[in-house]
Amino acid sequence: MVLDREKPVKSSNPKSIGTDLRVSIFSGKVLIDSLVRLSPVSLASNPVMLIVEVTFFIVAAMAIYPQGFVPVASPSGRLFYVEISAILFVTVWFSTFSAALAEQQAKNTASSLRKLETEVLSKKIVTEKWSRKIIPTKSTELRRSDLILLEKNDIVPIDADVIEGIAMVDESLVTGESTPVRKAPGDALIGGSRIVSDTITARVTANPGETYIDQMIKLVESSKRPKTPNEQAITMVLFGLTAIFSIIIASLLGISVTLDLGADLSVILALYVCLLPTTIGALLPAIGLSGMSRLYQRKIVAKSGKAIETAGDVDVIVLDKTGTITVGNREAMELIPFEGYSKREVGEAAFLSSWYDDTPEGRSIIRLAYDKGFIPDNLNALGLAHVYEFSASTRSSGVKLAHSDDFMLPKGGKAISQRQRISRKYSSASEESVSSSFGEVEIIKGAPDSIKTMVRSIPNNFDEAVDTISASGHTPIAIARNGEAIGIIRLRDVLKTGIKEKIQSIKIMGIRPIMVTGDQPLTARSIASEVGIEECVPRAKAEDKFGIVQKAQAESRIVAMIGDGTNDAPALAVADVGLAMSSGTEAAKEAANMVDLESNPAKIIDVVLLGKQLLMTRGAVTAFSIANDVAKYFAIVPVLFASTISQLQALNILGLGLNSAVLSTLMFNAIIIPLLIPLAMKGIAFKPTNTMSIFLRNTLIYGVGGIIVPFVGIKLIDILLSMF
Amino acid sequence: MIDAAQGFSVILILGVSVAISWLISPYVTGIFTRAPSRVDRLLNPVENLIYRLAGVEPTHGMGWKEYFLSGLLVNILQMAVAFVILSSQGMLPLNPQSFPGLNWDLSIHTAVSFATNTNLQHYTGETMLSYLSQMAAVQFLQFTSAATGICMFAAIVRGFTVGSKDMGNFYVDFVRTLTRLLIPLGFVVALILVWLGVPQTLSGHVMVVTVEGATQKLPVGPVASLVSIMQLGNNGGGYYGANAAHPFMNPNPQSNILEMVLMLLLPTSLIFVFGELLGKKREARPILIGAYTLFGINLFIAFINATHLGPGIETRIGGFFSTFWTVVSTSATTGSVNAQLAAMHPLAILSALLGMLIQAAPGSGVGVMYMVMYVVITVFIVGLMSGRTPEYLGIKITGRDVRLVMLAFLIHPAIILIPTIVAYASGAAAAIGVGSDSLGFTQVLYEYTTSAANNGSDFFGASANTVFFNISTAIVIFLGRYAPIGLMLALSGSMIGRKRGTVVGLKTDSISFSMVLVGSIIIVVALTFFPFLALGPILSFFQGYVNGLG
Repeated sequence: MVLDREKPVKSSNPKSIGTDLRVSIFSGKVLIDSLVRLSPVSLASNPVMLIVEVTFFIVAAMAIYPQGFVPVASPSGRLFYVEISAILFVTVWFSTFSAALAEQQAKNTASSLRKLETEVLSKKIVTEKWSRKIIPTKSTELRRSDLILLEKNDIVPIDADVIEGIAMVDESLVTGESTPVRKAPGDALIGGSRIVSDTITARVTANPGETYIDQMIKLVESSKRPKTPNEQAITMVLFGLTAIFSIIIASLLGISVTLDLGADLSVILALYVCLLPTTIGALLPAIGLSGMSRLYQRKIVAKSGKAIETAGDVDVIVLDKTGTITVGNREAMELIPFEGYSKREVGEAAFLSSWYDDTPEGRSIIRLAYDKGFIPDNLNALGLAHVYEFSASTRSSGVKLAHSDDFMLPKGGKAISQRQRISRKYSSASEESVSSSFGEVEIIKGAPDSIKTMVRSIPNNFDEAVDTISASGHTPIAIARNGEAIGIIRLRDVLKTGIKEKIQSIKIMGIRPIMVTGDQPLTARSIASEVGIEECVPRAKAEDKFGIVQKAQAESRIVAMIGDGTNDAPALAVADVGLAMSSGTEAAKEAANMVDLESNPAKIIDVVLLGKQLLMTRGAVTAFSIANDVAKYFAIVPVLFASTISQLQALNILGLGLNSAVLSTLMFNAIIIPLLIPLAMKGIAFKPTNTMSIFLRNTLIYGVGGIIVPFVGIKLIDILLSMF
Repeated sequence: MIDAAQGFSVILILGVSVAISWLISPYVTGIFTRAPSRVDRLLNPVENLIYRLAGVEPTHGMGWKEYFLSGLLVNILQMAVAFVILSSQGMLPLNPQSFPGLNWDLSIHTAVSFATNTNLQHYTGETMLSYLSQMAAVQFLQFTSAATGICMFAAIVRGFTVGSKDMGNFYVDFVRTLTRLLIPLGFVVALILVWLGVPQTLSGHVMVVTVEGATQKLPVGPVASLVSIMQLGNNGGGYYGANAAHPFMNPNPQSNILEMVLMLLLPTSLIFVFGELLGKKREARPILIGAYTLFGINLFIAFINATHLGPGIETRIGGFFSTFWTVVSTSATTGSVNAQLAAMHPLAILSALLGMLIQAAPGSGVGVMYMVMYVVITVFIVGLMSGRTPEYLGIKITGRDVRLVMLAFLIHPAIILIPTIVAYASGAAAAIGVGSDSLGFTQVLYEYTTSAANNGSDFFGASANTVFFNISTAIVIFLGRYAPIGLMLALSGSMIGRKRGTVVGLKTDSISFSMVLVGSIIIVVALTFFPFLALGPILSFFQGYVNGLG
């Protein structure tokens, strides 16, 4: 798996983010911004470039009035000074341009995200003049205390309280608990959860969280973006190097003057600028900003630059099973008949009972029965079947249809209705479910314990079978036919596609995943081992995550976790990297330091990879910048004292001309900045392997490469210059 | 280039040095961990008596500031004592030759130079120093300065060690280093040297009649004890002006080899001690590999032209061993010489300068400290490329850490380059007859490099006994010694109690990291000093000079 460098962003927004880079380069806004930034005042935050600008002023002054600089300048060198000052100016401009470009890109991405915030169409109830109307409303336009109607399969748009009705709600995406939860008036609904059955009315309890987007845009726009700890440390290195090179240059000037070595001030200043870490100095702001942009492109809002960096350091990721590792729905695996029944009977009954069950589980049961060849003969009867929708109170669903084991019923017709009438007449009115009339068959499937209450007699091995399945990490569904329990369906969690590889890739980078689930231990362990996770915490409630995070932190680990329920908030707050789902509660989003607008918990892994990429990019450009200096010394030092010491020409291994050595080195120094802008903005590509391999590979490319590239580049520019 | 037999002897001498260093390292570690030892019964009463007399509370743990200031204070007091002895030796006993007191500037220079383990000598011992000065000032400081450096090293390692609560107690470390390491080891080595023919006496100079019938004065004295500690403690200050080129300090090939091994002994041993004190023996690996790889590179540069030697080489030692010695002495920051530097090929001088600029190839007590600094900066700059916030020994490197290290790297060029220019601009260089060409520039650059690196080998010797050179080098020596130690102690002190990760991202104990470390040290040093080396020994080389005199 390669971390995508230029993944086209799937977005309803026609102006795709991927094209922003190209768009911005030609936008006048960036150009003007880059020129405004040339003022020494705004350069003050970037001392390296400020020094380059100062040298530009000095050399420009030398070009205008060389006589004033004797003995370190000669009037004959005027044209040379003009050339040098021009290159120096362009160097500074390249740096302001890259910063302006990065900021523009980040702004564009940020504002495009504003439109992308999870928008669910909800049914807002408006009471006007004693009549209730339902108005389709975007979730982002809902406000606190609005009333909303939630029907089966609706997504709860935002946190709300139930005020009327009872429903089963699937909160698996939010809490990780895959079993639907029963919600009655007074219960809180979590934004992002899905109504599985029934209809309820609820009152909105929170305003949509636009605050993150606003916060984020502020972060991008403010030119005084606080430096992250890592940026501060790099800045220290740059300061230190600048100070060291200042001493060296001052000493060279001093030696040249005291020993009469005749070095030209412009050449010494050119050497100074070439030695200064201009490449990293120019690109450092852009690297940080584009790191944020890359997160935004994946629709994740970071509240601070620090959070992204910390993500790169994560050693432990606390993963929710549901939503991250499994898709949140289960799949039928096996049919287990009770004594006296055949597999075929169970399969056919399961098939029939699931026909009208349009959930993924239901579909998977049909698929299983179909695959095994247990296709009921009386399929046609389904057309007229009486369907028991899944209800939260009985936790079961089913069908009732005319019995026909040996002949096909005509579709519709008198016979059925007659039979139905007869059956109703004979069946007890109070116990509709336990129907055993001769001509009809009623099949109910549901949670084993609720089926137990419906059947007339419980098979001897019922409990044993249920326990075995649970113990092996799966979920049992019992099937009853005409009031007799006939068998059990084994359901299994379905893994998200690609999750195994993702887990593998983070493990190989030395990150320890911990799976958290509400499932029982055996279920949890079997799923964990399937994806290669050694550590899992079963039967965990959201509150338990706090303890898990703290425990890992006590072992001095950097912990990342995801969450969205209010119960997750403490853990999100204490985790080093807390990624909240946009569909989650306000409390969770408030506590986290990142919010995923797409509410995809598996993205926590991407966040970690992006954090690493950001750190690597910064390191690579820094190492490259410093390594470049070796070649620059070899280019300029031989010509520095050319007028008095000819023997140093022996060091001129590139065979550069006197003036051309200085000009081509300076040009290389300037041109490398825009050449590296794409690298800085997209981040360096890397394959997740162990840390040492990544380190050695990057050291080879950017460290050793940083020594070699300028030798080649300077020579090439020198050849080009010699053509004119 | 050297031949196969010479190459073999290089490998043998280095191998023996590393092996002995490794063997004694557990014992040296015990000095700082205060682990029970067989010598306790003998030495505990002595040490406890010293603590009681000095009013030291041995269990008191010091913070980095207290540790540093204690060391600094002790050193300054010793400088003061040495200053008094040197400047008033004419009135003091043990002066059979009745030498007068030294000038104030030379006294300051010598006191500072010896108290800081530099041993840059602007005097000629046999004609200027009384026995008292040789023993109570010079030799005494050679023990204490070496002990101070080793203590500082131990304190720095403690800061990095998991579970440390403080930096230890300077006075206890100081006393134990002397009683358990330097004094007994120095005594044994002195006896061996006496056996090899080095004089050790307190009677006056010997007058002999030579075969030609002329009378000659042989300046003998307590030489063996001085040679022992000067090599063992990486001091380098000789009894005689000619240093180890003098037959009484280095009488034969055996003593020559022994003294080279001694120079490498403690610096190398402390690398192993570093790993043992940390409780992570493998972490000594990058330091050992780094130090010896750099040392190997220095040797290679020097050996390119080891046969081109001018006047000033002892024929009984020869070009090869003189060059080898020079590299060992400068890389291990000892500074003793067995030949005149002026006789060396420019490439050997380049190698010597590189050794002193690196200060950790392998470097004495503070050599490991420099290496740790290089590791920290390397981990920071290239470690980011591993995709994690750089960490060393599990500790994340912060902006403050980087600032302290950068400051130490900044001080070094500043205290070498600025006085070099001033020496020329003020005419002080011309006043002692140093030219403005590449040879002269090399000599001045060398003078301040040896001062800043606390090495002590030099071109000038007594000819630099001018107020300017005495005082300017004393300042450089002082800053070059205490500023990096202070910064490094501050860095290490801040490590105490800091959060440590348990997951190792960048394996600093791996061979591959060691190689990256070597590369980054070369780049850091080359970037800082390349133009000046180019104007000095490199230019001399291109100008076709074959030795330091032209």
